[in-house]
Amino acid sequence: MNAQIIGQMAVSGALMGLVYALIAYGFQLTFATSKSINFGQGELVMISAFFSLTLTNLGFPYWAMVPGGLLFGALMGLVVERAGVRLALEQKSEGWILLSIIIGLFFFSAAENIWGRDDRPFPTPISADPIHILGVDVTRLELSVAVGVFAIMGLIELFKRRTLLGKAFEAVSADRDAAELMGISSTRTVMLSYGLSGSVAALAGILVSPITTVGPTMASALILKAFSVAVVAGLDSGFGVVLVGMFLGALESLASFYLGSGWREAPGLILLILALALRPNGVFGKATIRKV
Amino acid sequence: MKRILLLRGAELIVFAFLATIPLLVVNPYALGLLTLLAIYGILLIGLDVTVGYLGQVNLAHVAFLGLGAYAAGLVVTKLGMGMVPALLAAALVGLVLGGLLALPALRLEGPQFALATLSFAALSTTALNELEALTGGAQGLSLSRPPILGHTLTPPLFYWLCMVLLALVWMLMRNLLASQWGRAFEALRDSPIATDAMGVGTYKHKVAAFALGSSLGGLAGGLYAFNFQYLQPQSFTYDLMIILLLGVVLGGRKSLWGAFVGATVIVLLPNLLSNRLLFQIFSGLGFAGALAAGVQGLMKKSTRPFQALAPVVAMGLLVVGGLFVENTEDWRKAIFALMLFSVVVGLPEGIMGFLALFLAKLFRVPHAPLPEPADLDTMLPIRPADGSALLVLADLKRYFGGVKAVDGLSMTVRAGTIHGLIGPNGSGKSTVVNVISGLYTPTAGTMQLRGVTLPIGSLYSVAQAGVARTFQNLQLFGELTALENVLVALKGVYRNPLPMVLLGLARREERTAQAQALALLELIGLREQALVKAKDLTYGAQRFLEIARALARKPDLLILDEPAAGLAHPDVLQQIEFIQRIHQRGITIILIEHHMDVVSELCDTVTVLDGGRIIAEGTPDEVKRHPKVVEAYLGQPPQPELPGGAEPLPA
Repeated sequence: MNAQIIGQMAVSGALMGLVYALIAYGFQLTFATSKSINFGQGELVMISAFFSLTLTNLGFPYWAMVPGGLLFGALMGLVVERAGVRLALEQKSEGWILLSIIIGLFFFSAAENIWGRDDRPFPTPISADPIHILGVDVTRLELSVAVGVFAIMGLIELFKRRTLLGKAFEAVSADRDAAELMGISSTRTVMLSYGLSGSVAALAGILVSPITTVGPTMASALILKAFSVAVVAGLDSGFGVVLVGMFLGALESLASFYLGSGWREAPGLILLILALALRPNGVFGKATIRKV
Repeated sequence: MKRILLLRGAELIVFAFLATIPLLVVNPYALGLLTLLAIYGILLIGLDVTVGYLGQVNLAHVAFLGLGAYAAGLVVTKLGMGMVPALLAAALVGLVLGGLLALPALRLEGPQFALATLSFAALSTTALNELEALTGGAQGLSLSRPPILGHTLTPPLFYWLCMVLLALVWMLMRNLLASQWGRAFEALRDSPIATDAMGVGTYKHKVAAFALGSSLGGLAGGLYAFNFQYLQPQSFTYDLMIILLLGVVLGGRKSLWGAFVGATVIVLLPNLLSNRLLFQIFSGLGFAGALAAGVQGLMKKSTRPFQALAPVVAMGLLVVGGLFVENTEDWRKAIFALMLFSVVVGLPEGIMGFLALFLAKLFRVPHAPLPEPADLDTMLPIRPADGSALLVLADLKRYFGGVKAVDGLSMTVRAGTIHGLIGPNGSGKSTVVNVISGLYTPTAGTMQLRGVTLPIGSLYSVAQAGVARTFQNLQLFGELTALENVLVALKGVYRNPLPMVLLGLARREERTAQAQALALLELIGLREQALVKAKDLTYGAQRFLEIARALARKPDLLILDEPAAGLAHPDVLQQIEFIQRIHQRGITIILIEHHMDVVSELCDTVTVLDGGRIIAEGTPDEVKRHPKVVEAYLGQPPQPELPGGAEPLPA
């Protein structure tokens, strides 16, 4: 009986962990091209979810709402890149950390005032009835998260490998200066990565909202865990985030069961600090050689 | 003298004015604001140590405020002790936890550091909320202000206590930050690698800076607890952290006055937001300021268009928004965001950074006069060049995966010589230097300096052992002046312990240090530019400065990594002369160089590397004629019968 409860908690936690993995994947996209990440990514998840909710309330069907939400996320990602990141990258400073936090704060305040401070349900055509698989109950909703996460990650990876633009993306990630010399605009590639990262954040919002509800603060917990996943796995670890995300999701689900729900966040945070101390490049990351 | 008088005078006037306010005004509301000003002043001075001097985005400071507040509260409520032990406990909690957090965060830079501090802050909020038995959780913790020495602390008395503490912190930090410690913090920000290579020790200073800043956060927390007499975990969250960052950045980084201005802004913000007229006046002023600065910047072409326009747009949003929004309180986060955005982009030096320039011009404040250069013979005595073996490398190897960058190198460098290390690109020269200086750990082999095994894999320990180096890609401390660059590395002058430095009793050794540093700058012809920031020097001067800084270590062995790289011909000649001057002092030099003329002119012995192995060794002339060297540099001589019947290239 006890084993079954543990299994159940671990599975639903791991499915939730895929959302963290997806947001962490968004960090990887921008880190690859520009060595920067958006500290306001959580707010991007949140306003994209709110925007998608508005689309739904306006009567858009699910299949039309999803691309709309993704487009909105991409646009917001571009706003962050233009207003917060580009200048700092040109100056080779780390000002983007502070600026992306600031832009996130602005989005947060805007959302609070436009959509209100309360949590709202997010309607979805996918049913929340449990299905019984291998002794654990999983809902279609939870499975849709897994499908969505793997679909977008697969698509983006295919795009990077198969298209010319995607190869430019990889070239800038590998060596920015060399790519510039080959006539690839690194500025445009960084824009592309922020756009993609914004879309990924939007999808994370759309996938998780039916489960958690939509509200201005929905992302503050999500984002900390996504940070943990990205750093523990390594910011250049590729699919490593999926494994770490699922592991962390399962871990915190068990922690909240045994220690109380207030301690839900603790394992991720401790894991993050430990990973930073012991393996700053992440479990799946590559060690860099210091050059002078 | 004029400078000191002006600065100290301004401090005295402001503090005297603040101290007399309770005697003149008896408005409890105003007094409450002033008390908060003192508390936030201490808090921001602490935050400025990490954000300004270390240059890291620190998101944990608010957690130290909270932890300090709870520590003080618990000492009073649970242990029944007085205010003094409570405040000490608050500062101690900050010091210890700050030091502990700095340990894992040590190796981290930029985003990872920000993330580690963010996690710590979230974790501490969780702990304060969940440890209900101790903290009362979300219910909060009430406490009363215990008397000091039998005196009940009335609001004016408590205000004075806060002000005295602020003045004390101000004085101690002023002394510390103007000392070798403050310079080391800044050096760390500009180049951690060079800081270690100059024997300063990033480890000690990063932990010290973070622990110190956090202890001030804790102390401010203790005062916070006694000011509000009610604590809740929700008070110490991310929102407040953003406001604190706004205070430091807006006030001006790396400045005590900046922290004070920032604290004033933070204290006045709620009033600004609740009064519509006031808000409109201030946003209008901000817009006008941004517009004026932007237009001026564009006309002079001193700023990029984005930097000039973005603050105008942000401030414009603030003005327009202020007209349409019903309740500005609802939008306070957006307002903070717009203000902070404008400042970070348009006024990165903050209000005080801007004012300091302006005031310095207005009063024509000169820099404090520099002492006469010290006598070079006393500070850097000429060493005997006896030709004994100084550095012995035996079978040294360094592999990167499958790449054998250095593959079994044995070499002896003799005391008092200039030993050249040359070879084509990728031959392993730089790797050898990086292994000797401790940046890389050797895969195998031994290294001995004067018969003593050299520490491996630590820039800091190798520097301490008497090896100094320069860097092929310049690693100067850009924000420090030429003089300060040399001072940071200076060995054998700074002896006073930390308490003496804090109390400002270490001024004499500072003069000695300046004199010595100036002597070194004179040696490489930079005495006139002693007060110029390193990043503003010409490229040639920067290369020279790297050498002066390495010399400040008073090394047994000086490693020069391509000191003439990228220099124009006249500068190369100068560089040769400087290196000869250093050589005359008996300092042993390893010279890595591409310019063959420089090598021929300077070196006594030359070792030639190719593919990580030695292919020739001898005097410059011998080496130049060595067939293997010719082959390595120019390739195989053309064979008479080429395959495919191609015409041999004309010679």
